[in-house]
Amino acid sequence: MNCAQTRELLNAYVDGELPAEQAIAVAEHLATCEECSGIYEGVLATVRALRGGLVKYHAPDLLRARVRSALREEERPATTAPAPAIRRKVRVPWRALAAAVVLMVASSGITMVATRQHASAESLTRDEVLTSHIRSLMPAHLTDVASNDQHNVKPWFNGRLDFSPSVPRLEDAGFPLLGGRLDYVRGRPVAVVVYGRRQHVINVFTWPADASGDVDRTLTTSHGYNLLHWRRSGVEHWAVSDLNAAELQQFVTLLER
Amino acid sequence: MTDSTLESFERIVVPLLDDAYTLARHLLRDEHDAQDVVQEAYLRAWRHYGGFHGGDARPWLLAIVRNCSYTWRQGTRTQRASVPYVEDEHGGGDQSHRATDAAAIASSERAELRDALDQLAPEHREAIVLREIEGLSYKEIAAVTGTPIGTVMSRLSRARQRLQDVLGLGGRAGEKRT
Repeated sequence: MNCAQTRELLNAYVDGELPAEQAIAVAEHLATCEECSGIYEGVLATVRALRGGLVKYHAPDLLRARVRSALREEERPATTAPAPAIRRKVRVPWRALAAAVVLMVASSGITMVATRQHASAESLTRDEVLTSHIRSLMPAHLTDVASNDQHNVKPWFNGRLDFSPSVPRLEDAGFPLLGGRLDYVRGRPVAVVVYGRRQHVINVFTWPADASGDVDRTLTTSHGYNLLHWRRSGVEHWAVSDLNAAELQQFVTLLER
Repeated sequence: MTDSTLESFERIVVPLLDDAYTLARHLLRDEHDAQDVVQEAYLRAWRHYGGFHGGDARPWLLAIVRNCSYTWRQGTRTQRASVPYVEDEHGGGDQSHRATDAAAIASSERAELRDALDQLAPEHREAIVLREIEGLSYKEIAAVTGTPIGTVMSRLSRARQRLQDVLGLGGRAGEKRT
């Protein structure tokens, strides 16, 4: 095999896509030709850099929710209207989407109440917390105060709430603080402290508990999100994310330290 | 369609959302367009799910995502004379992509790679995404892109050469990781 033939096949050789016979011929040529083996090294280095450095994008939570609800919508036999064609002219109707997502989540709550008379207050709260989490993932809804400094976030809640949420610094453990916001759950203002984990968002909801006594962490999963609830020292806590359960548990352990 | 079909679709195809979004994101270079296209692609995939006869769902889904992306681009090209290339969008500036300090350096290297990739011609870009990120074989890439294997090979080769030049990865580039 000559140089020109070898160079033409180098990429397929690196990718392991050559039949054995040709691969051997390329290897033999590389062993004897310094110039070609230099080029081969270059291809190899490039492939290595690309495979090591290019990573998949994480599909946003909102897209996940949109796809799921679009599929459900499509599935419903009663409404025969065809799914709307691809939108070109109009930008994404975030508001309508927000409403749709909220409805989707809320309706699951309603079904639960209807079918199970004893739907607990906790499951209702869970649905509201989850709705809030999904809503927070809409553009510009995540934080009212965007800061990765706990000394900015904590004082921001003063005067806005009748209690003060704890805002520990967990950046060194890989959970950077993203900010905070006010939200409403169960008819009362609550504090939401927002942390990140890679591309995942974790919302931590806290408010003073109406009931007394501590409650251990319980994990529930809904619509692809993990929710952890616990009550401690008279404060209700909910941590919500599409992060895997193990890392969410780890996060809460750090949070409670 | 029965509900169990939807369940199977949700079990097999919905978990591939990251793959679909990654391809659309690189082909369209816009996160909002990518989201819209992926949603459309999933609806289309669902409607044609009856025609999917098992095997690896990834190339099958990615072919649909690719077609939707190109259809979308043809539609938008007539409206927007050119798609402005916004640096900021590629650096992970939005809140959900914020990285920790420790990961910041690695993420800036990744951003550099992604930028270089996004400068490639579309057919070169898709070859790289399908091969280096999705890990598809030449045969699968040929199926997704509807091109002969020989074309896949030459596109990959040119695309890599271009990236090697842009990123300054010579033959001795193994040293570049510091």
